Amino acid sequence: MLSHIIFLGLFYTVLAVLSTTVALSLYRAGQDFRARRAEAICWHATFPDLPARDRLCRHEFTGEFSHRLCDKAFDCRECQQHAALVARRPPDAAPTPREADVFGLEFPLDRLYHRGHAWAHPEPDGTVTVGLDALGARLVAEPEAVVLPAIGSHIQTNGAAWHVNKRGAHVRILSPLDGQVVATGGPQDGWYLKVKPDGGRLDARHLLRGPEIRPWIAHEMERLQASLGPADQAPTMADGGVPVNDIAAAYPEADWDAVCAEIFLLP
Amino acid sequence: MPNADTQLMPRGVRRSTPRQFLLWILPWAALLAFGVYGAGLCLVKGLNQTHMDNRFAFGLWIFLDLTVIALGAGAFFTGFLLYILKKSELKAVINSAVVIGFICYSGAVAALLVDVGQPARFWFTFWHPNVHSMLTEVTFCISCYLTVLFIEYIPIVLKNRKLRQIPSFLVFEFELHKLMPVLAGVGTFLSFFHQGSLGGLYGVLRGRPFAFREGFAIWPSTFFLFILSAAAAGPAFILLTTWLVSKVSGKQLVRPEVLPMLGRISGVLLVPYILLKSIDTLVWIDSTSPARGFAAYQYYAWKPFGAWILFAEIVVFGLAPALILLRRRLRESPAWLLSAATLVCLGIALNRFVLTIQTLALPTLPFDPFMSYLPSWQETATFLAVVAYGVLLYSFSFRYLTLFPQEKDLSC
Amino acid sequence: MAAITPKPARYGMAIDLDRCTGCGACMIACAAENNVPPARPEATPRTGITWMRVYQISNGAPFPDSRAAFVPILCQQCGKETPCAAVCPQEAVETDPATGIVDQMPQRCLGCRYCMAACPYHARYFNWWDPQWPAGMEKTLNPDVATRMRGVVEKCNFCHGRLHAARARAAAEGRRELHPGEYLPACVEACPAAAIVFGDLDDPASEVARLARDGQSFRILERLGTEPKIYYRTTRPWVRKAAAQPGPASAPGKEPVHA
Repeated sequence: MLSHIIFLGLFYTVLAVLSTTVALSLYRAGQDFRARRAEAICWHATFPDLPARDRLCRHEFTGEFSHRLCDKAFDCRECQQHAALVARRPPDAAPTPREADVFGLEFPLDRLYHRGHAWAHPEPDGTVTVGLDALGARLVAEPEAVVLPAIGSHIQTNGAAWHVNKRGAHVRILSPLDGQVVATGGPQDGWYLKVKPDGGRLDARHLLRGPEIRPWIAHEMERLQASLGPADQAPTMADGGVPVNDIAAAYPEADWDAVCAEIFLLP
Repeated sequence: MPNADTQLMPRGVRRSTPRQFLLWILPWAALLAFGVYGAGLCLVKGLNQTHMDNRFAFGLWIFLDLTVIALGAGAFFTGFLLYILKKSELKAVINSAVVIGFICYSGAVAALLVDVGQPARFWFTFWHPNVHSMLTEVTFCISCYLTVLFIEYIPIVLKNRKLRQIPSFLVFEFELHKLMPVLAGVGTFLSFFHQGSLGGLYGVLRGRPFAFREGFAIWPSTFFLFILSAAAAGPAFILLTTWLVSKVSGKQLVRPEVLPMLGRISGVLLVPYILLKSIDTLVWIDSTSPARGFAAYQYYAWKPFGAWILFAEIVVFGLAPALILLRRRLRESPAWLLSAATLVCLGIALNRFVLTIQTLALPTLPFDPFMSYLPSWQETATFLAVVAYGVLLYSFSFRYLTLFPQEKDLSC
Repeated sequence: MAAITPKPARYGMAIDLDRCTGCGACMIACAAENNVPPARPEATPRTGITWMRVYQISNGAPFPDSRAAFVPILCQQCGKETPCAAVCPQEAVETDPATGIVDQMPQRCLGCRYCMAACPYHARYFNWWDPQWPAGMEKTLNPDVATRMRGVVEKCNFCHGRLHAARARAAAEGRRELHPGEYLPACVEACPAAAIVFGDLDDPASEVARLARDGQSFRILERLGTEPKIYYRTTRPWVRKAAAQPGPASAPGKEPVHA
């Protein structure tokens, strides 16, 4: 009788543990949706699936690390290392670069740049304008479709800001901030969204600026060249000139989905 | 060129064209159909379609079930090493190991349902369990473990490129993944017991002195030997399958240090296994078997099962691969590594064969002859159906799911 | 009426190998009593069902010194650590404490055949086919014994149906105890040489108990420790050697003929 109880007891315990695990996961998933953490979770969950070359820490660009992969899914707000490095070298003390022209692309220095190639610019009226940087814009020039969020909807950092379709690639542009959409524009306006940031002001710790831009874009151009060419060729770099306005038109054989995935960080 | 099919594949990796894939799938599908027909005959007409009989109550299916379950142990052992002991290098193969484990266990359960005389009565074991029987333990544990494998398979599927676009799937997968150590722990616990009980099935047979062993409490020594051998075989099988998939797909799937690492784990576990098995064999030859009136040398007088089998099992398929896998220089040579891994897996198969087939072949009654048995085509077909099912499921998983996370970084 | 449980019995047999002529009447009677289905044409000695099976053994000597003997093997009703009962995952094997009979429940049997692997006496038989009786033969079925279905294991149960019938008759006469000889399995009844003696091993007055204690009696595979309840008797040393052997008899190539 005792052996009966022990045996069946163990069996039912195992079943209970298994069903609790599944039920708890479902319950927590529900909680995540209610607490509006779902978008951030989706991003964090799929970030490790990006190739290693897409996940370099921003501090590698500035030479502070020789090689480091981001373990916070580009959310530097959460990162101790970033906080420590910033404290050691406050951004204001850095020498401002003289020009905003990087490999023939314009990167105005009053803007803050997201790794997903969206930029954020705080406006005097308290809103933040969000647009696509020079490199991103050239990749999705003359889009087949642009799907903008509804006015009043909420976007999250590293969540989807808006969607663009270009030559079979469905691209979601990563949002650089948390906030409520107050106006939408488009490529013709030079900006895509006007957002009222949560908490009244833009938290830009995770955004790139100033001396980080050039090495970052150099790396991005390398990745772009690699994805545009045939897979077995070494990447080549142009030694001058300005990238054409519609890169897709110039590369009809390229797998545009793969190119956009590389640059816009689609896992 | 992107099409509906490419939209389902993981990004950043190359897969064969739909036409090439179809050409690969078709022969396996045909084999599956043929095998299902063979199994169907057994289900419809009865087990007289097999060549099993009252003396060979167990045959090809039980032998193969035990072997694939031992080889599928890679799933639990890799999970244990990764999620409990935190050996993060194994992230490179865990997904593939889970899929292989799922294939091995689901295939074995399907074969078992054909093997029993009354499959619809499978639930009787759960309703009237005999807690003293090893087979009851096996039934419960394998059912639970198949559930665990299924639950571990789900996140891999949910992370498919198209499916992951559904936020609820991804969030659920994220939450489930946080609890993966719990699942790995339960899986380890269950695997420990059912791998052991499969060995216990034979160790408790008082009526078969060839198989009977003393042990610790209610567990004969074969219980512990099976666990150790399964733990040793698991990584070796993962090593072999990873290499095979790499060869067939023509892609590098894991970093070069991963396969030798798996080989080393296998080698490290083989050593205590060989030691304990040798001691167990000596005890059996010296006291257990003679106490029941059977001198050990008598078993090996029956051709073709001579003493060479014992030598093969312990030395050729046990000690030799262990020595190879423990030497770094040999591990890093693919030829040595793969040969050693193959020997380990074959050794496990031989061990299960000896306990299933040889046990039944040997006479127990004083006036009985040696029995022989060869499977019928229906039995072989059923087994081939399981193989085909495994290849098909793995092929689809490899094409549409991320089984090897390092592939993306290695493909450029 | 107050419930008076009869004293538990431990039924067993003593089979005299010197009397057994190998006629096989016990096998036929057993099959007829227990509704064993007729063998299909494709059946072999290893797939046919014979709850009672007579084996032929020989002393291995050449003519004219060659001698044969016959050993009826049936379920030995193992009394200790019964191998089949211990391993059945569904508890479809039960030892009846009132009679010591090891009962098989085909309606609970899953057909996993683990018990068949466990039984050293090979006394368990599997229904490899659907039991079928040719038209007209169903009239020979014994109405007191349930037939089995395909895919389940069956074996000798000392004609348990006859035990129930005997108890019913005794109860009708107001008795609880059975007289010796009132309950006999079919094989015992059918043997023309009266080679099989059946009774309660625990009843010191019964003949089977006396024969079991006799020095000429031995049990097969006794050293396995399962305490079988079938005792075999012989005065011929070579028969005793061949049958009482603890393990496989001889080297390959010299094994006795198997019936």
